[in-house]
Formats: sequence, structure tokens, C-alpha cells
Amino acid sequence: MIFKNRIGKFVISILLLLSLLGCTGDSSREIKKRAVELPKLSQMDPNGTLVLALGGEVSILNPILSTDTTSSAVEGTIFSGMIRFNKHLEPEPDLATHWKVSKDGKVWTFYLKKNVFWQDGHPFTAADVKFTFDSILNPKVNTVRRSNYIIDGVPIKFRVVDKYTVQAILPKPYAPFIVHAAMSIIPKHLLAGKDINRAEFNRNPIGTGPFKLADWQVGNHVIVERNENYFGKKPCLKKIIYKIIPDENARLVALEAGEIDSAGVPPKDYKRMWTIPSVNIFEYDVLLYVYLGFNLANPIFRDVTVRQAFAHATNKDQLISLVLKGLGSRADVPNAPVSWAYADDVVKYKYDLKKANALLDQAGWKLNSDGIREKNGKKLAFTIIINQGNKEREKAAIILQQQYKKIGAKVKIRVLEWSALLRIVNAPKGPKNFDAVIMGWSLGLDPDGYIIWHSSQYPRGFNFIDYKNKKVDHWLEVGRTELNRKKRKATYAKIYQEIAKDVPYIFLWYPRAVSAISKRVGGLDPNPGPAGAFLDIEDVFVIK
Amino acid sequence: MRKFVIRRLLQLIPLLIGISLISFFVIHLAPGDPTNLFVDPSVQPEELARIRANFGLDKPVIVQYFYWLKNVLRGDFGTSYFTGKPVVLEIAERLPATLLLMVSSMLITLIITIPLGVYSAVKKGKFFDQFFTVFSFAGMAIPSFWLGLMLMLLFAVQLHWFPAVGMFSYQLKDAVWYIKALDVMHHMFLPLLTMTILSLAGMSRYQRAAMLEVLKEEYIKTARAKGLPEKVVIFKHALRNALIPTVTILGLSLSGLFSGAFIIETIFAWPGMGRLGVQAIFSRNYPLIMGVVMLSAVLIALGNLLADIGYALVDPRIRYGKK
Repeated sequence: MIFKNRIGKFVISILLLLSLLGCTGDSSREIKKRAVELPKLSQMDPNGTLVLALGGEVSILNPILSTDTTSSAVEGTIFSGMIRFNKHLEPEPDLATHWKVSKDGKVWTFYLKKNVFWQDGHPFTAADVKFTFDSILNPKVNTVRRSNYIIDGVPIKFRVVDKYTVQAILPKPYAPFIVHAAMSIIPKHLLAGKDINRAEFNRNPIGTGPFKLADWQVGNHVIVERNENYFGKKPCLKKIIYKIIPDENARLVALEAGEIDSAGVPPKDYKRMWTIPSVNIFEYDVLLYVYLGFNLANPIFRDVTVRQAFAHATNKDQLISLVLKGLGSRADVPNAPVSWAYADDVVKYKYDLKKANALLDQAGWKLNSDGIREKNGKKLAFTIIINQGNKEREKAAIILQQQYKKIGAKVKIRVLEWSALLRIVNAPKGPKNFDAVIMGWSLGLDPDGYIIWHSSQYPRGFNFIDYKNKKVDHWLEVGRTELNRKKRKATYAKIYQEIAKDVPYIFLWYPRAVSAISKRVGGLDPNPGPAGAFLDIEDVFVIK
Repeated sequence: MRKFVIRRLLQLIPLLIGISLISFFVIHLAPGDPTNLFVDPSVQPEELARIRANFGLDKPVIVQYFYWLKNVLRGDFGTSYFTGKPVVLEIAERLPATLLLMVSSMLITLIITIPLGVYSAVKKGKFFDQFFTVFSFAGMAIPSFWLGLMLMLLFAVQLHWFPAVGMFSYQLKDAVWYIKALDVMHHMFLPLLTMTILSLAGMSRYQRAAMLEVLKEEYIKTARAKGLPEKVVIFKHALRNALIPTVTILGLSLSGLFSGAFIIETIFAWPGMGRLGVQAIFSRNYPLIMGVVMLSAVLIALGNLLADIGYALVDPRIRYGKK
């Protein structure tokens, strides 16, 4: 009988699987969205374990050295910084109780919490803060963060005022410093005098954060356990297990199988995930935009009228619908709507083929008998380069190719391996060997766009499109030194207006992140900020 | 035989130096370097240049090669750029997982494939043979990632019989060894099943073809004419010769046992060498790439040597070291 039941179950499962497969292709199905249902605090398991997935390997657990988001995700639970940012991207005290900035904006004084201990029991002091920043500034340490603490070639000095007070002395006012001051602090007593690049600490870290490292099985999982001596709010969770699951589809399967509690949902699986009753779906905006960048050293794109024509020929709604399945919004400025500095009072280029054609006619590009525009015997033909493996950008390039065909432009697409693409756009000398590129900028917490837009950042730097605008240069310099948020926002609004007029990029979309989280997980923010639903990890719990 | 083995082992030395030289230059010819991963608007190009210099990447490639070779001769394969760990340790951490999965898969494949291929050849054109031919072609045509995901959906999501991902359960960290072993076997079932189905499909075709070839030989006809029972003809006279192609494939597969299977390891989150090697290539982690390449080179060479020794064992006509 048991055998028969098992056979029956097996057959039914295969039938279910086949029906499931049959359903996934049905794009016409309506999504029945439902409100997030979070468990109550009274249901909390005081010894609960949350299981999360990481999409890549954890390389190193030292916040001044790591460069990958997976390592940073784990480090975020083990280490603390002097300050941290809330879901509205506003700074809040963490290891510091408060901070003051001198009138001239050059001296930042941080007052640290007393009775904070490292996870090995050693007391935390201002000496640890100075050690952390001095280590980052040490040229022998392989950190990419050093330039964050060097302003116009002069390093920021860190001074211990007393055991619980530390000062940062800047050569000139520098607003983005508030973000860099949030750097996680590493312990002086464990790392002083050692080669930080190869220290054993990087595999057995000790921090001051809400969790401490319990187990790290390379390539399989990392486990952190509640730090009972944490200086802040005691975490509700006993443990967090980070399972390393590199494949996006496998992460979703693992979530459905109940092996993990959360997974990111790509657009292709969005509808299907709403049909799974055991998960809550969270949607939130992220600090990222995707763009088509023109090489302004290319004669075709030197003319702003041509760039404006392409902007009018770009149907962003179609791109968002086809590429992101609607999970995004149109972009018009080089900042994301979730940023405090976002302002979109700029010229917007509506999809208007008539206007696009008229602008190209005005610029002297006339249609030939093949339906391709020409000017002085040169065809309006160019190549868009994209990086291999990014399906969204590949689709976007194909759609743009079709959209631009309608205005008489011949577009080729060249897919390059990421390193090959970077070699072209990051070439140390101009003019760079590309016509147009689809890329995305992941934005920092500070709106400073100096390194992307300032003319000094070409050819060495990330202004690889060779954008030059003296007004923008000036405002970028002002924006960095202005500490008043209101005034800064006004400055960035002017920058965005100028950039929108110049159309060096066609801003395509802001993606919307989607996470599916098991209904056994509580303490989550139903409307998370760009850092996601697990930002306040101390509040997160699982039910019994 | 001993002389033959020693001679072949000595030939390995110049071969490996040649492979290391070519690999080192080819890897450095590929665009980009490890600092490509640090492309971020907050990172200044000077910082990337400083890190390149710290890694020694500002020196000419030939100089870098001789530094590497000098260190290798002293037993130091370098340090991973991203983890700061010695390359040997990185490989040693991943090798057991790969070996376990790959060796198990190969053993199971061999155990099934030989009788299956033989039976299929003996029953050529019959229902079993036709059914198995369809299975084999389907197995060869199905992409591994698709099969893996389907098996996961069936056995992990629908039936909850096996875990979908990972190699072991974190809850059993302090359990006794046999519980841990059972747990690993439980986790290994789905990747193993996927790999076995895929490799079975190809290997059994080779075995079937080889068997069919041998069955046409004159000495098989003679054996049958002598009135030997069919079992003796098949298993004593035909099978040993029909094993030669299988032994060749096995020998050549040896490096695969160590280098892992990237797609399977990625789908099932199996912490093996395949993922490590591919990640090293994409991140231009030169010392780690060289470590993996050299390990594979040694194993391919040893695999060939073992295959040659295997020929002598299965085919009495083949002898080495005699003129």
C-alpha cells in the first residue's frame, strides 16, 4: 500500500511539474497581488535561525579589503561603523553617539559610545577608528577605498582626541565624507603590525556588530550568531545562515523548497512568484540607473541635435515593458528617485518620431534610397557595445536597434566580455574606440557625480564619454564642498537640468528590485528602502 | 613497464614548463586584469594602478612569469588576489567536494554503462536497444542546467525527498561522522543523478559501438563456431577488447574529475573546483588560474599514462617497454 502511495505521489508530482512548466509560459495571466502578511512579534522564536542566500562566494571578511557585495552582506552583520544610514538614506549614530562639523567644514569630531566591546571582549576605543582609516590610507594595503579619504591629493588626517573622541581633519570641506565616515571599523589590537592583506583575521573576523562569525564553510555557507554583548538593540535572531547559491533559478527553487527564506525575483519569474502562497513579495527602488552613453568624441554624436533626436526616438516605456516586464520606471536624470538629491525638473524627451526625424533633418542627416540617413556621404550608422551575460542589456540593445531604424539610423550591436568592454571604455588615452555603450551606474549614498561627469575625469576616469560642460564642472565642485543639504540639492538640480539638455547619455530606466521572503520571517519593513527589507536586521525574527 | 612509466614521468617536466609558459602568456593576453572588478565611480584610476603595482602586475609579463616559476619551484603557487589565501589552500578546500561528486558519478556511470552498452549491442535492433538509443540521444541533447532544475523541482519542491542545494546541513556540524556522511550523500543525490544521466547517455553509446565492432571480428565467429556458450563469447572474448575505448575515455576524463563540472556545481550550489576555476577566470585571478591549469595539466598527462597502462591490462596483445 505504501509503495502504491509513493508511486502515486511520484506520478502526481510529475503531472504537477508538467502543469507548472506549462503555466510558466502564460504571460497573459493577471497578477493577483496581495498585501504583505507579517507574523506578530508574539510568535517569535527567540532561538530562531534565518536562512538567506548569497549569489556569489564570500571572498574575504574584512570591510576595508572586500570588494564584492556578498562579502559586504555578511560583514554588515559582523562590523559596525561610526554612523549608519537608515532606509531614507539619512545618517544615524552607530558606534558614535553624535558628531559635529566645524564652521569651516574641515574638522569633523565624532563622539564614540562608551562600553562597546569587540566580540573577543576587548574594549572599543577611538584608537580603533584611527587605525581603520590609517590602514585604508596605507598604500601597501590593497583597498580600493583609499581615494575616498584623499581630497585633491591630500589625505584626510585622523586624530585621537581622547579615548572616545576622534577627529577627521579634511584639507577642505567635502560633503561626501559623511558616507565614507560610515566605514566599518576594524580592531587595532588584532591587526596592528600585521600584513592586513593576508591576515588570518580576514577569515576569522572580530567586529562590534550585532552578529559574530560562527562558521564559514568555503563555497557552501557562512553562519553568524547573535552577539550577546552587542552595544545596540539585541537581535531577535539567534543565527543567520548565508547559503551560497550562485544560480538565480536555483535560489528560487530553494525558496520554494523551504531551504532558504528569501530570494531576489528576476522579471521573468515575477508573475509566478505571486502565485506561491508561502512568501511575501517586497518591491522597492534601488540606487541604480541604466543608460545609453554616446561617445561624444565621435563626429556623429558631437552634435547635440543628433543626440536629442535619438532621445526622442527612444521609447523607454517599451523598453521597460519588454526588458523589465514593467519592473522599472523611466529615467531622465543621473540620479535615482530614492536619493534625497533627486530632482527631475529637467527637459524630458517624449517618444516622438516626428520630432526625432525633424531634428535629424535639421542637423543635415538626410534619408537615402536605402532608408538610412546620410550626411556628407557618411551614413548614420554606429555600434552599441554591451557586456556579455547581461540579458537585460542585450534585449535593450536589440529593441533600441529597432527603434532607431525607424529614424533612419543603422545600429550594430557588439557583445563583449566585461573585461574587453572595460578595456575600451577605460582606455587611458582618447578618443576611445566605441560609438555608444549601454551600461548602468550603481549610485553611492552620496549624490556626488564628480567622477562621472567632471571634464577632468576624461580620458582617465569614468567620464569615458568625454562630456565637457564648464557649468556642470563648476557645480560639481560646489556640490562636493557644500554641507547644507538644501543648498546641495539645488546645486544638483541645476546639474541635472544641464545634463538633460546636453543628452550625453539617454537615461533609460530605474530598475525596481523584487524580493520574495518566506512568511515565517517577521520584523520586516513592508515598504523597504533601497537597502532592502533586512536593513534593520536586529528587528528581524522567524516564528516558532 | 616500469621503464616506460619512468620515461613518461620524466617527459612530463618539459611538457609542464611549456604548458605553464603558454598558459601564463595566454591568460595575460586576455583583456583586463583583476582590478576590473573594482570598477565603481568611487574608485579613482590611481588606486587601481596602485593595486596593480601591489600585485606585481605593473612588471613585464615575462618578468612576472619568472617570478611565478621561481616561487612554484619553491612550492609556492602564490596567493589569491581576492581572498589573500594561498592558492594551494584554495584548491585544497574545493578539491574534496569535486572529487567526491565526480568520482561517484564516474563509478556509477561505469557500473551501469558497461552492462548496458554490452546488452544493447547484443540486442541490437530489439526493443531494449531502440528504447536505450532514444534515452541516450535524449540524455545527450538535454542541457545539464535544465535537467538539474527539473530534478530539483520534482524531488526537492514537489516531493521533498532530497535537498535542492548545498553539500551539507549546517545543523549537523557537530554530528558523528556517519550521520555527516549520510547527510552529504543525501545532498549529493540530485547532482549525482543529473551527472550520471548525462554521462551515461554518451558513455553507453561508446561501449555499445565498441562492442558491436568487436562482435564482427573473426575470432568471435571462431569462438562461436567452436561451440562456446554465448556468455563466454561475450564476457571472456569480446568484452575485454571492447573496453579499450571506454578506458581511453576514462583516462581522458581524469582531469575532469578534479576540475569539476561548472554548470552542475552552480545549479546545485556544490562547492567544487568548477565554480572556483570559472570564477578565477572571470575575475582574472592569475595565481589561482595558473594553479588550476597546472593541476589539470598534470592530471591530463597522468590520465593518459594511466590509460596506456589500462590498455595493457585489458588487452593482452599490448605490452610496453619491449621492442
